[in-house]
Amino acid sequence: MNGRPVRLVVDDDLRRSRLTVFFRFFLAIPHFVWLGLWTFAVFFTAIAQWFVTVVRARPADPLQSFHVAYIRYATHVGAYMALAANPFPGFLGEPGYPIDVELDAAERQPRLTAGFRFLLALPALFFLTLVNGGGSAGSTGGGVVISGVVLIVAFLGWFACLVRGEMPHGLRNVAAYGLRYTAETFAYLLLLTPTYPTSEPTLPASAGPTPQHPIALFVDDDRRRSRLTTFFRLFLTVPHMVWLLLWGIVVVFVVIGQWFFALATGRPAVPLHRFVAAYIRYQTHVGAFLFMVANPFPGFTGRPGYPVDVHVTPPVRQSRWVTFFRFVLGLPAFILNGALNTFLIASGIGGWFAALAIGRMPEGLRNAGAHALRYNAQVSAYATLVTAHYPFSGPPTLEPVQAAWAELLPAPVDAPA
Amino acid sequence: MRRPEHLLAALVLIAGAALGAWALWPTRVPDDLRLPALDEREVFDPEQLREAQHFETFLHWNALASMIAVLVVLGLYAWRGHRLARESAAGRIGTGMLLGMLGLGILWITQIPFGLTELWWARRYGVADDVGYIEWLLAYWFSLAGEFGFICLALVIVMGFAQVLRGRWWVAGAPTFVALYVLFSFTYPWLVPADRPLRDPALLSAARAYAHEQGTEPIPVRVEEVSSYTDSPNAFAAGMDSSRKVFIWDTLLDGRFADDEVRMVLAHEIAHHSREHIWKGVGWYAIFAVPGTFLIALATRRRGSLREAQAVPVALFAFVALSMAAQPLFNVLGRRMESEADWVALETTEDPDGARHLFVHFTEFALADPSPPAWASVLFDTHPTMLDRIRMAEAWRARSESRSHP
Repeated sequence: MNGRPVRLVVDDDLRRSRLTVFFRFFLAIPHFVWLGLWTFAVFFTAIAQWFVTVVRARPADPLQSFHVAYIRYATHVGAYMALAANPFPGFLGEPGYPIDVELDAAERQPRLTAGFRFLLALPALFFLTLVNGGGSAGSTGGGVVISGVVLIVAFLGWFACLVRGEMPHGLRNVAAYGLRYTAETFAYLLLLTPTYPTSEPTLPASAGPTPQHPIALFVDDDRRRSRLTTFFRLFLTVPHMVWLLLWGIVVVFVVIGQWFFALATGRPAVPLHRFVAAYIRYQTHVGAFLFMVANPFPGFTGRPGYPVDVHVTPPVRQSRWVTFFRFVLGLPAFILNGALNTFLIASGIGGWFAALAIGRMPEGLRNAGAHALRYNAQVSAYATLVTAHYPFSGPPTLEPVQAAWAELLPAPVDAPA
Repeated sequence: MRRPEHLLAALVLIAGAALGAWALWPTRVPDDLRLPALDEREVFDPEQLREAQHFETFLHWNALASMIAVLVVLGLYAWRGHRLARESAAGRIGTGMLLGMLGLGILWITQIPFGLTELWWARRYGVADDVGYIEWLLAYWFSLAGEFGFICLALVIVMGFAQVLRGRWWVAGAPTFVALYVLFSFTYPWLVPADRPLRDPALLSAARAYAHEQGTEPIPVRVEEVSSYTDSPNAFAAGMDSSRKVFIWDTLLDGRFADDEVRMVLAHEIAHHSREHIWKGVGWYAIFAVPGTFLIALATRRRGSLREAQAVPVALFAFVALSMAAQPLFNVLGRRMESEADWVALETTEDPDGARHLFVHFTEFALADPSPPAWASVLFDTHPTMLDRIRMAEAWRARSESRSHP
């Protein structure tokens, strides 16, 4: 995220105090009260700042400092609640918290974008709801509650921290991504920066290296999108959906057979592994096409070579215990995958409009979609006994930002010839 | 026809088609039936007549313009559409499916202005007051999904056969399409959305009596709920053998039509089943499917036949052009079967007054021009004109009277 005006700083060792994790929600109550009061004040100062910026084309310095401190404080509280950090945060938003935000507050702001800032921020706010969750609609009690990724992470992380005394690396990084996007969105909304928030799912190198995984996603996509196929994308996927469904029915039976085989021999059968691996590749190709992560119409066989492709390593020995309890063990990943799929749909919808307008997929949305697809492929591989490696939910870390997406993903452990 | 066996095969096919047509052509309408001359101004209210004619004239021209636009756009697509193969990472058949779907998508876009114009016109005349433009666009948009699915299935079959049989794929393709047509005709009654059983005891009893009178098993009658988006009345027969059903729109039962008119509709639809019109439709389809698929194979030969995805845009154009060219002929066949159903309904109900009132009301509520211009009738009319249907009712009356008073 170098070069961007809002940067996330991660200095967290993943260790968590079980005691404070257990009472985390209650411990945060004073922060909720204080954050609520601060937010109430910010509502009025933001309006004042808006008038000042539209008139002078530059924000008022005292208000800017106040808003910077507010965003930093909100990030600390968010990190504490999402279990992305361990220590109880201070109340003044001072720098130095393990998950922190650095902001380069802009001196000048274009009057036009400042004037329409709230309207312009609406897509980002919508995306933010999907990232963080908690939005609801409907007044009769039957409304829709949006369970965002960070909310799910906090829920799953709570159990993990209580058991292990440590926050899983992947979950912490997903939360960090959400916090970074939230900070960028509010910095934009509060006129601290004219730079639009990016959904780019990369994190600074300080978030720790992305572990290697036998299921790796490779992206070789130039972001060009055909407007014609974009317009009809949903319906062009209809035959693939039918085929995916039919293939999926066979895969269910194959996986049942594979489960018995792996329990008996301690390793998956090679032909069945190949069959299911092809299905996972195909599922990723279709997902990439449907959600605008890739451009060309995919083939029907899951053959390698699609611009967004999954590399699957050959089968290796798997613990019989892990095989026996595979479904139960996979539950947290299935839940998180559900949330990430919402995220994938949102990036697909955003990308659809963008690609229709400019004939290209915005890089941030493309990479956000690719991140969700990678996790999806890893979850599918875990559930179908292709690998016993647990899915890694965290977005990849990146230094420097200019690296291509393909390079920031882990190289396959043993890429097929 | 370079080889004698080809010539022989062609002769056998032609003879088979001629034999089939000879078997399917006859109807129960007496050959010597002469329809009496009727002045439409004596049958219909002049104001109503003028309104219906004005309404339909515009629609006919709009439909004609739409046909021309479709031909032009698909012609261009046949010429340049193969370039879109670059948007595919799929194999031959997958790319063919993409090109087929994109062709339909482009066709869909082409037809939007004409569809919207038609809706605007219908709203202006109060025929589609409840349908909004956005609602129509969304419904139209979602109908694409089914069309895409259908063309993919067709292309998988055709391109699969072309892989093995190359240019002769049509030999296997035509019978497969006929089989699919039968399957679709059989399953169609279950695909009708928002339907419920008819509950009116008098109408149910009439339906049973008419089926018996026409020498067929009782046929279930269902009501399709369409009143949320149209006021137009309609009914249709669907299904084959055990799936046979008659569907009447709920707009026929909203009180605007008298019971004898609804009974006439029931007798007409039951006649479609008793006279096996759906099976006859399959027969006619089979007769046209063989030369149709052969001509498509011929048209795509220069693009490597349908083995190659690049031939799909040409195939699509050929299919649509052939369908349009054959439409007048299909319309003749359709009108013939509808006339027979009218005649059988008159024989069953013995109620020419009911028939006459029904057709007058159809003109009034659906704004159907009772005597459209010949070109429009040839191109678009799948049913006899309302005036001809009334003339048939009068002819039946005259014949019946002459039978009772020789």
